[in-house]
Amino acid sequence: MPTKELPERSEIVIIGGGIIGVTLAHELAKRGEEVTVIEKRFVGSGSTFRCGTGIRQQFNDEANVQVMKRSVELWKHYSEEYGFSFEQTGYLFLLYDDDEVEEFKRNIAIQNRFGVPTRLITPEEAKEIVPLLDISEVIAASWNPTDGKVDPFYSTAAFALNAERFGAKLVEYTEVKDFIIENGEIKGLKTNRGVIKTGIVVNATNAWAKLINAMAGIKTPIPIEPYKHQAVITQPIRKGAIKPMVISFKYGHAYLTQTSHGGVVGGVGYELGPTYDLNPTYEFMREVSYYFTRIIPALRELLILRTWAGYYAKTPDSNPAIGKIEELNDYYIAAGFSGHGFMMAPAVAEMVADLITKGRTSLPVEWYDPYRFERGELRGQALQMG
Amino acid sequence: MRPLDLTEKDPSKRITIHFEGKPLEAYEGEKLTVALLANGIYWLTTSTEGRKRGAFTFGPVPMVVNGVKNINGRKTVVKDGIRIERQNYGDFQETVEVDESKPVTRQVVDVAVIGAGPAGIGAALELQEHLTVALIEERGWLGGDMWLKGLPQEGFDGEPKEVIKSLVAQFNDNVRVFRKTIALGIFDKGEYFLVPIVKGDQLIELMARRVVLAVGAVDNILLFENNDIPGVFRRDFALEVMNVWGVAPGKKVAVVGGRPEDIVPELERWGIEYIVVPNPKRVEGTEKVEKLIDMNGNVYEVDAVIVSDGRRPDINPITQAGGKLRFKRGYYMPVLDSQHRIRDGIYVAGSAVSIKPHYANYLEGRLVGAYILGEFGYEAQPCVYEKKLREYEPEAITIHKIEFDAFSLEDVQICGCDVSLKKVDDVVRSGITDLQIIKRLTHLAMGFCQGRFCLFNGAVVVSQRANLDMAKIDLPVARPPLKNVKMKVTAAGG
Repeated sequence: MPTKELPERSEIVIIGGGIIGVTLAHELAKRGEEVTVIEKRFVGSGSTFRCGTGIRQQFNDEANVQVMKRSVELWKHYSEEYGFSFEQTGYLFLLYDDDEVEEFKRNIAIQNRFGVPTRLITPEEAKEIVPLLDISEVIAASWNPTDGKVDPFYSTAAFALNAERFGAKLVEYTEVKDFIIENGEIKGLKTNRGVIKTGIVVNATNAWAKLINAMAGIKTPIPIEPYKHQAVITQPIRKGAIKPMVISFKYGHAYLTQTSHGGVVGGVGYELGPTYDLNPTYEFMREVSYYFTRIIPALRELLILRTWAGYYAKTPDSNPAIGKIEELNDYYIAAGFSGHGFMMAPAVAEMVADLITKGRTSLPVEWYDPYRFERGELRGQALQMG
Repeated sequence: MRPLDLTEKDPSKRITIHFEGKPLEAYEGEKLTVALLANGIYWLTTSTEGRKRGAFTFGPVPMVVNGVKNINGRKTVVKDGIRIERQNYGDFQETVEVDESKPVTRQVVDVAVIGAGPAGIGAALELQEHLTVALIEERGWLGGDMWLKGLPQEGFDGEPKEVIKSLVAQFNDNVRVFRKTIALGIFDKGEYFLVPIVKGDQLIELMARRVVLAVGAVDNILLFENNDIPGVFRRDFALEVMNVWGVAPGKKVAVVGGRPEDIVPELERWGIEYIVVPNPKRVEGTEKVEKLIDMNGNVYEVDAVIVSDGRRPDINPITQAGGKLRFKRGYYMPVLDSQHRIRDGIYVAGSAVSIKPHYANYLEGRLVGAYILGEFGYEAQPCVYEKKLREYEPEAITIHKIEFDAFSLEDVQICGCDVSLKKVDDVVRSGITDLQIIKRLTHLAMGFCQGRFCLFNGAVVVSQRANLDMAKIDLPVARPPLKNVKMKVTAAGG
């Protein structure tokens, strides 16, 4: 239920109170801007609520590596300042054949060039990091100890709290229904709780982004579709049993790690959609069990407590659309994160805040150009997990 | 006889088991937890935060059996020479034998009936004349909660076990009975419902054209200090040890909760000394219950406490299967259409619908069976059952006012996974009333029981602290698996 009044007007309105909207509000408010977030349920209730915790810099292109390098700096900074946990327990990609090793050598070279200290390690070294691993088929692993994990819900709450401290308004249980536009200029938004006047709007609704674009009358094709991805959690086990995020492309594009509560959490590549349905499926339970137990045999004897589903808001090249939409004055988009938006959020907040307040940013935002789809300039597929 | 045996056991089945190195007397076929109780051993495991726990209230019972960690004590049957040790919740078996599991099998039936209490048995009996039925029961016996009773039940003639036996004896070849079998969920495949079930470590995919949820009700968990310690019994577990296994919960027990009448006659039947304490505040003891203190400061020396506070429908299978809930008579119940369906093809019967006598639940099982027969074009007389069922007004269950000021809140456990009433209350008092958020912040309803025994109390805390109507509280939906399953079982066969 709504606890805060909808302000009559706000300089900037962010639609969507997930990690992207909240970190952006935090960044803008910290810079002294007047900003309001409008969230249809509660802060962090969408895909952020269902997300798998991982923070990685191991991407395969220059832009994403640079953005994630910056993002990790910000995660480190804000986790210390705001007192939520960011455990730099690393990301471990298990590799099983020469082609995979060659590909990861190329990725590692790009990562190293921008100061991300990823190394190719031996199966034995991988087993030292995660003693429960079955390395009988592993021939090498890509290892970056500075990657890590953050609880999505606690961190979103921490950013929300501090955004408010800097003067941002976070209005929950309020749904945007339409735009008020006059002569190509945004004048305000209609919501189920009345109108808010504003001139600058950011669409940070990820899986719902196309709905907001349609309300804004945007003609530019920005193909973002919701896909159902699922996750599993096991009974809690002794803490520290699986420290890093472990990835295996061979076994179903699986990712798994241990939560701060002790359960083993993760998912596989199994994808359904486009759909807004979120019912977990039996087929997922089967697949995730099969793949996980091949990566870590001890999981065979652990109980599955629960499965759930969330959206990946996917674009054709698995990169988000971040930038200014020229056809409507002062309309911005930061959506379509394709399964890795949580980890990017602090850097995306910085980029979008730069665009709004200075018109430019030193981070390579053009990689995420919303017009690339229209121009047919898809990027290389961003390394999507799960 | 062992210290807590109520009956003489068959001497030809006598075996020796070892607990923490000590040899003990047990009997073939006994559950591990019951064999230990008969020997006066209550404390079996230790929670993540170091709380001692027994087997007869909420929370899991992981134990070390013959050197293998993380074995469910409740589901293990004793064998001669077995070695049992305590462990902490987080201990697990790091090296496992790579045994290839049994291949998954498929079976096709007309109707999958989940739960073999009086309602499930009634449904199967009604359906069997024309349709094939899979009757799925998690426990080792048929008859559900009625099997636990020793005294005659309204509507039926004779001793409950004899009634159940005579009903079950009427099953024909169309009924396939799966005992000690869990259902993982109900998945709509259009032409049929997929109901994956697990018997032992065997995964079976049932393909059923209709589903009956006769999943029963769960006992309420009463909130008082140290309500999780060894020696605290839920009503159903207390009845089970006495009436199924012939073992007493203790030499002298206290009965707490709003429904002492559901257990007291059974204690009297066995001649177990008891005292009814309407307002418990705290139990104490080093390894198990030694005394109970009430709100007035009276101290009772007892060695067990039985919580009998009524039951509420198990709503998890309802919401997982796509059903909606409403709040009425003090509990959440499924929203049904005129034919007892939560949606096309999925029926609900028994105490999963509402709380009423066993005989009424049995009638309701017959009723949904008759509806299904009618749907398949067979002659059926649902109106006969409808009429009889109308004679039973469902019971109302009292919601207690939680004595927040009287309790030391961190000692009151709301959930078996180390979630204290204090953790939940602190979050609610900070202004958060959405159970989804409360779940995330406290871990309420995220453990082994998937909220069965704690979500309701979570809603009560929200309702009483934030002054919200229970009917307006949105309960999180259950997710598969409906019951915990080992990953190797669902991994089987690729």
